[in-house]
Amino acid sequence: MKEMNRLILMGDEAVARGAIDAGISGAYAYPGTPSTEIFEYIHDLSGRDGLEIHARWSTNEKVAYEEALGMSYAGRRTIVSFKHVGLNVAADPFISSTISGVHGGLLVVVADDPSMHSSQNEQDSRFYAKFSQIVCFEPPDQQQAYEMAREALDLSEKLRMPVMLRLVTRLAHSRSIVTLSEPRKQNRASYCPDTSWWTLLPSNARRGFDRLLHKQAELRAFSEEHASNQLSISGAGKPGIIASGIASGYVREVLGDRLSEYNFLTVGVYPLPVEKIKQLVKASSEVWTMEDGYPLIEQQLTGDGLHTNARIRGKMSGDLPRSGELTPDLVKSAFGVPASRGLRLAGSAPGLPARPPLLCEGCPHSDTFEIIREATRGYPDIRVMGDIGCYTLGFYKPHEGLHSCICMGASIGMASGVSHAGFGPVFCVIGDSTFTHSGLTPLLDAARENTNIKVFVLDNSIVAMTGGQPTMVTDQAMVQIVAGLGVPAEHIKVIKPLPRSLEENVKVVRQEIEYHGLSVIISRRECVTYYKEIKTAQRNREGELR
Amino acid sequence: MKQDVLLCGVGGQGILSMAYVIDYSAMEAGYSLKQPEVHGMSQRGGAVQAHIRVSDKPIASELIPLGQAELILSLEPLESLRYLQYLSAENGCVITDITPFVNISDYPELSSIYGQLLQLPSVLLVNGAHLARKAGSPKAQNMILLGAASTRLPYPVNVLEKHVAELFARKSERLVHVNMNAFRTGCAVSQFHQALRQAGVADASISRVLPWLDFEPWPVPEPVVQAWIAFFQDPAGCAATEGLWRSELILPLEEEAPRKLREGD
Repeated sequence: MKEMNRLILMGDEAVARGAIDAGISGAYAYPGTPSTEIFEYIHDLSGRDGLEIHARWSTNEKVAYEEALGMSYAGRRTIVSFKHVGLNVAADPFISSTISGVHGGLLVVVADDPSMHSSQNEQDSRFYAKFSQIVCFEPPDQQQAYEMAREALDLSEKLRMPVMLRLVTRLAHSRSIVTLSEPRKQNRASYCPDTSWWTLLPSNARRGFDRLLHKQAELRAFSEEHASNQLSISGAGKPGIIASGIASGYVREVLGDRLSEYNFLTVGVYPLPVEKIKQLVKASSEVWTMEDGYPLIEQQLTGDGLHTNARIRGKMSGDLPRSGELTPDLVKSAFGVPASRGLRLAGSAPGLPARPPLLCEGCPHSDTFEIIREATRGYPDIRVMGDIGCYTLGFYKPHEGLHSCICMGASIGMASGVSHAGFGPVFCVIGDSTFTHSGLTPLLDAARENTNIKVFVLDNSIVAMTGGQPTMVTDQAMVQIVAGLGVPAEHIKVIKPLPRSLEENVKVVRQEIEYHGLSVIISRRECVTYYKEIKTAQRNREGELR
Repeated sequence: MKQDVLLCGVGGQGILSMAYVIDYSAMEAGYSLKQPEVHGMSQRGGAVQAHIRVSDKPIASELIPLGQAELILSLEPLESLRYLQYLSAENGCVITDITPFVNISDYPELSSIYGQLLQLPSVLLVNGAHLARKAGSPKAQNMILLGAASTRLPYPVNVLEKHVAELFARKSERLVHVNMNAFRTGCAVSQFHQALRQAGVADASISRVLPWLDFEPWPVPEPVVQAWIAFFQDPAGCAATEGLWRSELILPLEEEAPRKLREGD
């Protein structure tokens, strides 16, 4: 028998479990590595053992945030989760919700991806928390992830503001044993008392912003007293360390007993505990800053290089790499602890070839790239604007069929811009889920101007890259949505990318190249990896219709 | 007690299932645990790895520091070489499947990969693909390898078995059966290897032969073990193993087999 209050959980799951046990009534998210498993854990548990939580994937992060905010407006607790770049999409409601404040507790979980394991940048969400002036938790381990998620929801309701919890890949996707505590009941629905707080007309927003500014002293006091911001001074003149989140574990691992020779401050909650930092700096010969992500603490300590009276060491000082995730081995070398080189084979072992991710065997995207290559043969210099999904791998050999990838939905807007600059036709490829996430609005622009771009909607009926989440729109509904945006029916083509249909598909595309205007080619075939899941979803949809 | 294990292979080979069994066995033994893994993009046929750190004391860091892993357990031979810098120079051991997963154009010569592996002070090569097919499914390669590591893991075999069963019970009865078969076959490999090592046979010698032996999901009978020990202790026996790599013959595990092999039957 497993003890029911001890579970093995990933960092993502620990946060989810903490939110469930804090009494959330809603969970909102858009899939994105390394955040996906937060929502999935809640989704899998909701409906079981009488647990009633509204948990459906949202169209994009902005919608997810707004749905969560609505749930909070109605007095119930909620979690919204996404990857770091997802917060860019949700930034508009996020920032303004710090002015409106919340009613039911609202927990914003953002999973950052230092080293860009599965991302296009490694932005640090703590900066968002800082400039929106809210509390941000940064758990050092899975147990704290669970507890901080619970605490964050209590705090959000008490302070009447959203609270952020920041994860990094290494914690989000690492499992450990978590001890659970007694769950709290859900809130009953109740409207927020004062609608002027929530109606951000300038006159109301000014009062809201003042409220936010007034709360700052309370926030600082909270952070100063918080147990996770722990200061131990071992003696004046000793070297000091400030370590946040999982970096504090790396420091403990690397220094072991030698840690007692340092003054040591751990940071688990922001705003930074300024008084504790002052004490540490005053007592220490030098101060090491250890953080996974951008050098947020280091930059504040040095005032971006304006203060020179204390010796601050970290990423800005050049003692640690400025990019990529922090590792125990980097901490080791910073502290001059000899690192093991591991096992070496005699003689000079040849370098091993890399094994980059690839499109799966039989993937429909491979066929679409083949169709595009064949169809554009003979035309001078046609570029293919890319987007975010498995098909971004089309950049690599053997396809080499994609020439940009910036962010969700950028392919269509960028193709239009390239066309406006005088090239044409411009191709773009975008998956079904990315299209509904952020492709509808740029396609509306292109339809209004009849821009000479050829939009390939790669409809594989699933969100494959992040592990097979259901898509919002597929099959005939995709045709309808494209037509609804104003694309003329005769220039909406549906093809099935199969090797045996290459010739006829190329003919269809060639025809559209000859047409000077907007065409949408829906390249539709189920994902081979998630074929079973797609068929189940189709049966369920048909069941709903009956 | 403290053990750092690095699992590796190619996305889709079932590394996380192996990790599941070890994680739950560690929890049952009352140990603390940290197990970071790779998700997302790399799962599309890329190199994938998971670190498993287990200790009777709290563990501070998610990642295994370089040079500290006691065991690299790999589902693919090229991948097993990718993480040697994590392996302890004092007591590190590599257990790997010999079956290449070739999805890159510059995959090295297999003989050079095996050559490097056989140089390691402690290594066990396993023909996971063959044994998994025999156990009932080529997908059960991961459970063969997990079993092949069983004598090196600090958990009783029955605890590991319980969690293998639990993992596949969510899927189907048949899968429980197949994977349990595979796991037990792997255990037979592990116990056979351990007996030979204890008799003083070098890992490199054992690993030249072991992939071509036809293990069953139960321990190799003692007289057969003894016959193989005698074979390896005889210089003529070791010489007879050279041709095995090229022939890729699968030898039955019986008392007569070593004699026949030595005499070139």
